[in-house]
Amino acid sequence: MITFRASNVLNFAHAAMGMYIAFVYYGLRNFDVASTERGGDLVLPIIGLPTHVHIVDRPTVFTALMIALVLAAVLGVVVYALVFRPLRNAPPLARVIASLGVFLYLQSVMQLRSSETGAGSASLQLKSLLTNDVMHFGGVVVPTSSFLLAGFAVVAAVVLTMVYRYTRFGLATRAASEHETGAMLTGLSPDRLGFLNWVIATVFAGLAVILVAGVSGRLDPTETSLLVVPALAAALLGGLDSFAIATVAGLAISMAQSALGTFQSRSAWLPDWLPNGGLRQALPVVLILVAISLRGAQLPTREALVEGRLAQSPVPRRPLLATLVLVGLGVVALLTLDELWRLAIVVSVIAAIIALSSVVLTGYVGQISLAQYAFAGLAAFTTAKLALNGVGFPWAPLLAIALTVAVGVLVGLPAVRVRGMTLAVATIGAAIAIEELVFNSPSLNGLTNVPRPRLFGIDLGFLGVGHENFRPEFGVLTLVALAVSGLAVANWRRSPTGLRWLAVRSNERAAAAAGINVSATKLNAFAVSSMLAAIGGALLAYELPALSPQQFMVVGALAVLALCYLGGIASISGALIAGLMASGGILTQLQGGATAKASSYQFAVSGLVLIAVVILLPDGLSVGARRLVDRVWARA
Amino acid sequence: MGARMTALLDVHGLSVTYGGLHAVEDVSLTVGGDAIVGLIGPNGAGKTTMIDALCGFVPHALGAISLAGRRIDHLPAHERARAGLVRTFQSVELFDDITVSENLLVAAHRPQWWSSLVDAVAPRRSSRSLDVDFALEMVGMESVAEMRPPELAHGQRRLVGVARALASHPKLLLLDEPAAGLDPSETAALGAVLRSLAAADIGVLLVDHDMSLVFDVTDELTVLDLGRVIASGPTATVKDDPAVVAAYLGGGT
Repeated sequence: MITFRASNVLNFAHAAMGMYIAFVYYGLRNFDVASTERGGDLVLPIIGLPTHVHIVDRPTVFTALMIALVLAAVLGVVVYALVFRPLRNAPPLARVIASLGVFLYLQSVMQLRSSETGAGSASLQLKSLLTNDVMHFGGVVVPTSSFLLAGFAVVAAVVLTMVYRYTRFGLATRAASEHETGAMLTGLSPDRLGFLNWVIATVFAGLAVILVAGVSGRLDPTETSLLVVPALAAALLGGLDSFAIATVAGLAISMAQSALGTFQSRSAWLPDWLPNGGLRQALPVVLILVAISLRGAQLPTREALVEGRLAQSPVPRRPLLATLVLVGLGVVALLTLDELWRLAIVVSVIAAIIALSSVVLTGYVGQISLAQYAFAGLAAFTTAKLALNGVGFPWAPLLAIALTVAVGVLVGLPAVRVRGMTLAVATIGAAIAIEELVFNSPSLNGLTNVPRPRLFGIDLGFLGVGHENFRPEFGVLTLVALAVSGLAVANWRRSPTGLRWLAVRSNERAAAAAGINVSATKLNAFAVSSMLAAIGGALLAYELPALSPQQFMVVGALAVLALCYLGGIASISGALIAGLMASGGILTQLQGGATAKASSYQFAVSGLVLIAVVILLPDGLSVGARRLVDRVWARA
Repeated sequence: MGARMTALLDVHGLSVTYGGLHAVEDVSLTVGGDAIVGLIGPNGAGKTTMIDALCGFVPHALGAISLAGRRIDHLPAHERARAGLVRTFQSVELFDDITVSENLLVAAHRPQWWSSLVDAVAPRRSSRSLDVDFALEMVGMESVAEMRPPELAHGQRRLVGVARALASHPKLLLLDEPAAGLDPSETAALGAVLRSLAAADIGVLLVDHDMSLVFDVTDELTVLDLGRVIASGPTATVKDDPAVVAAYLGGGT
């Protein structure tokens, strides 16, 4: 709704940070004025520490707001100091990943806090700071608070514009976002500017989310954090430069959303399969993203070159041998271990296939896509729907994969013109659109009892009875799929196709000068990677007892990308490590089984580890391990 | 008219405007198939913008560009490169993640739409090809073929940049300050490479600040100042042109 921007870091975790601040505020105010509850508990966002500390008894609105906003300032400083300051000269991908780490961490910790204390959004009393009156405009009822919110946005935009246009601080910030040394010339340290901007941005985000949550009556760790998508879309339309355009665009998006909501509920002619509210959520964001894409240039300008180092992409060594050994081990494990282990292996194998899609797209070609999980989901839903309608085994998944590749290329179109952060926003927008328009569709609700896959008379189904459950035959099928996918990716990496991918990743202008069709190369990579994600997704359709939209939410995509980066975003073994660490996979099984709480912890920890890896070990665990092996080998 | 008919590159009325500022204004020039033409001018004269515009890196350039008699000004950058108009960059810009010979292979390889499908099943392991070997030999960089660009010295990187351009079978090379940062012996070696290109029927448009190199190897010179051509003709004549001396070479010297 309301967008703010500081210096040149696009922060995915922006709304998540605001979300935490809102939780703090409403946590502090969580008492009934008429009763003797004391309230005043401060929610702590650090795992391992107590969940709450008590600060004051029954704080007033003012006290609580002040505490929350001071905390927002502190949070801004901490995040900048620990995460983004060390990454000042890192490539954009690293910064996107780091902000996803912050996002993932805050979102999952707050999820955890909500469930631990039972103080989820449902039980917090979201009392609006603004009046609950309504105003009438010729029969249309509009809550006054909406006007006040819009007013707040406009006032904030005006104030920020003035500050950034007319003060020395503002000028220096703009100089710094263009060129760091430029700011040093004005005599202000870029460090101090960075801190100040982060403080301003976080305080505004906190205030905005407190107000919005009060008005809408909703404060949910995931939903609120994802508000960042329309907000970033609006900011991008403003060219990341104009508070005015960003504010107008932000207001337009939210107005269009409520208008479309009314429109859909009144229009009987719209097809039934459109989920309630789907248009409302998806359309405005998609439109804005299309507008941004059209404005971008096909080749970056001379100045816009990527600086800093990207994750190393090693050439796979002896892929055939490695594949045979791993498949052999997998088959032995499937045949000897019990059903829980078989489930864990299958979960890991499928996750590794989906992770491979990120390795190709983000690791090899440098295109940050957060739609990979949505692709997998699309393939899963399509496979299930087709299979339930009588399409036989190899055909249902194959058709689903073909459809997903088509959608993948479509989603990849913005990549032809935008790059880096902007592309990440565009793909997350696409993921949300797929989620809202397809997964939530009533006609795809509760897909269960998908017919078992059969090939040449062999039952390859996964589910069985008792100890026969999670049948090894299906496990072998997934292993074969992973082996084929992995070998194909290894072959691509070693062939001219892979060289073109890496060339585009490292320098689009030079790639074009070398006669490489950059647009076609990117679309080719989107096709390949959506195919890989679709293979994983199609397998999920047979693995899961029932499909539901919750299984393919955007947060899952963040986790996949995070795990890939952890394992090594530009290497195949990185995808395998990501698979091992996937929630409910082999690593979870080693730790002794999965619970909902554990998976939230896992997200939170992977958020933290992600930030650490981005800063300390940008090539990921697999390349780090490989270097260690090489060193030991050289010594021996 | 005779010269125009045989010209490899024929540029007519090229203009580039950045928000009201004329970076390049109504420039016309021709380069012959076996000639080395120098493009010089003070900093900000629009030399690199010229190369960007010729190669399709500037979205809104006006004017007619023909390569070997074929209009190419409507083509995107990569197709101009495939048509034979290949550039190097002032800041070299090699692909750091892959080896030198792979850098060249990427430029030499002409993929078909089915290439990726074939590559998935049967990757071509050999990362060398005739074009790659030829280009490395031309610049004398065979010894670094299996190294990665970040491991090379600055001068070696520049020569590899030229080799990458050569690997894609250019008709005309546009070199953007190839001698910047080279020591005198490296510059002399570069001069020899440039002359051998002319012998191999590859035209060269050379932008450089090293005047001894430019005067030494070029047959013709075009001088830009503030986006306009202020002199053009055989090198021996142009370098003594009073307007050039005043605008660029700084009078007295």
